[in-house]
Amino acid sequence: MARLEIESEVTGNVWKVEVGAGARVDAGDVLMILESMKMEIPVQAPEAGTVSELRVAEEDAVEEDQIIAVLET
Amino acid sequence: MSWEEEVREIHRRRRLAKQQGGKEGIAKQHARGRLTIRERIDGVLDPGTFQEQGQATAIPDYDDNDKLLGFVPANYVVGFGRIEGRRVVVGGEDFTLKGGSPNAAGLRKSVYAEHLAVQYKIPLVRSLEGGGGSVKGGGGRRGGTVGEPVYSAHRFRIIADAMGEVPVVSMAAGAVAGFPAGRLVASHFSVMTRHTAQVMIGGPALVERALGVSLTKDELGGAHIHAKSGIIDNVAEDEHDMFRQVRRFLSYLPGNVHQRAPRIDCHDDPERMEEELLTAIPRDSNAPFDMREILAMITDRDSFFELAPEYGASQIAGLARLDGQPVGVLANDNRVYAGAMTAEAGQKYRRFVEMCDTFHIPIVNFVDQPGFMIGPEAERNGTIRYGMAAVAAAAQASIPWAAIQVHKGFGVATAAHYAPDNYVLAWPSVESGALPLEGGVAVAFHREIAAAADPDAKRRELENRLRSARSPYPRAESFAVHELIDPRETRPVLCRWIDWIQPRLDELKGPTRFPMRP
Repeated sequence: MARLEIESEVTGNVWKVEVGAGARVDAGDVLMILESMKMEIPVQAPEAGTVSELRVAEEDAVEEDQIIAVLET
Repeated sequence: MSWEEEVREIHRRRRLAKQQGGKEGIAKQHARGRLTIRERIDGVLDPGTFQEQGQATAIPDYDDNDKLLGFVPANYVVGFGRIEGRRVVVGGEDFTLKGGSPNAAGLRKSVYAEHLAVQYKIPLVRSLEGGGGSVKGGGGRRGGTVGEPVYSAHRFRIIADAMGEVPVVSMAAGAVAGFPAGRLVASHFSVMTRHTAQVMIGGPALVERALGVSLTKDELGGAHIHAKSGIIDNVAEDEHDMFRQVRRFLSYLPGNVHQRAPRIDCHDDPERMEEELLTAIPRDSNAPFDMREILAMITDRDSFFELAPEYGASQIAGLARLDGQPVGVLANDNRVYAGAMTAEAGQKYRRFVEMCDTFHIPIVNFVDQPGFMIGPEAERNGTIRYGMAAVAAAAQASIPWAAIQVHKGFGVATAAHYAPDNYVLAWPSVESGALPLEGGVAVAFHREIAAAADPDAKRRELENRLRSARSPYPRAESFAVHELIDPRETRPVLCRWIDWIQPRLDELKGPTRFPMRP
C-alpha cells in the first residue's frame, strides 16, 4: 500500500467530481474535471487504487500543486 | 642505455592516478549509491573509447632527493571518447578526492575541458559533482600573489563561448553546488538523477547561516524542485538512465555549429497517414486533447525526445525526426492553462528556439496558442517580457520553420510560433484572431450586450455569428496559409518539406547571430 497524493497541475476551479471517496479506480480513470482558462482538464488516476480522500468539492477554487485527492495503491 | 626505467615510472604513475581516492574513497562513493567519475565516463562513452588527457597530472610529494613520496591525482578527469562512434570530450570531478572540490591539479584540467571542446570542435559532456572552490584553497599569504592578473583572459568566457560552438551537455549525479551548478546550467541539455543528485547555489550550511532556515539538500535542490524550476531539463531514474539520455540528446545534434545535424536512414514510411488524426481535435473547443499523441503519430516512430516536460508545462518542446532529419518540435499542451504562454513557457520557448538556431535544426511547430497567460500571478511573473522574448527569438530565427495550425492561435503570443522562413499549414480545426471568442465578444461588444433585452442571448448570438465567420477557408483563399490540409496528410506533407529544405540546411552553417545563453 502506497499513498499517492494527487496535485492539481493548474490554478482554476473544480468543475465536476467523477468519483466518490472510497471508489476503486484503474490507472487512467478520470477522478475529477478541473476548469482553467476555459479548458476542461481531466485529472486521471496515475495508478490503480482506492480513492482514500477527496480534498475538494465541485466549484472549489484550486491552486497549482494543491493536493486535491489521495489514492491508496 | 635505454629509457626503460623512466618508462616504468610513467606506467606506475598512470596506475597511481587511476587509484582516485583509494579503495576507501571509492567504497564510500558506491555506498552513497553513486558511481565514480571513471565509471561514469565509461558508462556514457562507447566501450573502450576513453583517451584521457593529462593522465599523470597530480599533486606530487618529493623528498629532498627528488624521490616520489606521495601522489594525489588531479581530481578532475578529462579526455576524448566516442558516443555512437562520434567524437566527444568528456570530463568531471572526482568526488572521491576532496569531495570534488578542485585541488590545484584538478582545477587546471577542469578549466581545460571547455577549451578542449571548442578547440577540437567536438561536443562536451560534463559530469558534475561537488561544491566548487573552498576557502581553504584560496591564497592570501603575505608576499605571494593573490587573484588572477588584471590582464588575464576572462575565466568564464569560454563557458559562454562553448555554447555557441559545440553541443554542451551536463549531468548532475551527486550534490552539485557553487560553480559546478553554474556550469550545469551553461548547457544545451542538463540532466540530474532522481534520488542521488541535488543542485544548489549554496548548500544547507550556507543557507542556514545566511537565512536562518534549516533545510536538507533534497529540500533545497532535489529533482522535484528543479524539474519545475527549469534549471535542469530532464530527470533520470538512475545514472545509467542519465547516460542513455545524454547519448540520445546528442544523436539529434551536429558535432559543432559548422556541421549539419546527422540525418539517418528512416525506417518509418514518410507517407504514413494515421486515421486517428481525423478525430484528434474535439469539435468542442473547450474539450482537451492529448497533443503528445498527435506528435507521436506524425514524427518518425519513437523519435520524440521531450525536454523539460514539467517546466513551463503549457509549452511542449523536444527533439524528433522526420524522414530521418532531426527537427525541433514545439507544441502547446492545452491541458495546462489551455497551452497559454506563461513566463516559464516563454523562457523555455526562447532557449529552445535559440538552441535549434545555433545548431541549424529546423523547427516544426504545432500551434494551439490561446495567448499569453493572464491574471495576477502572470502579471507578477513578468509574463509579457518573457513572452515577447520568445516572439523576438522566433522573429529573428534563421532556420526553416514549419507551423501547423492545429487549433487555437490567438493574440500576440501566436507570433512566437512563426519565423521568417515559414511554411504554414492549417488543419480544419484552426481558430484564430486577436482574442478567443468567449472573452473577446464580451469585451468588444460590452455596450451592445448590456443594452440588449436578454444580454446572455445577445452575447451568444454574437459569438455564433463570429464563430461561423471563423471558417478555415478564407485564410487559404487569401494565401494566408500555404495549405489547408487533412490532418492525416500532416506527416507526408512535412516529410516532403524536409526534402525541399535540404539545400538550405546545407548552406546554413557556422555561428549564429544569437547563440543560446544559459
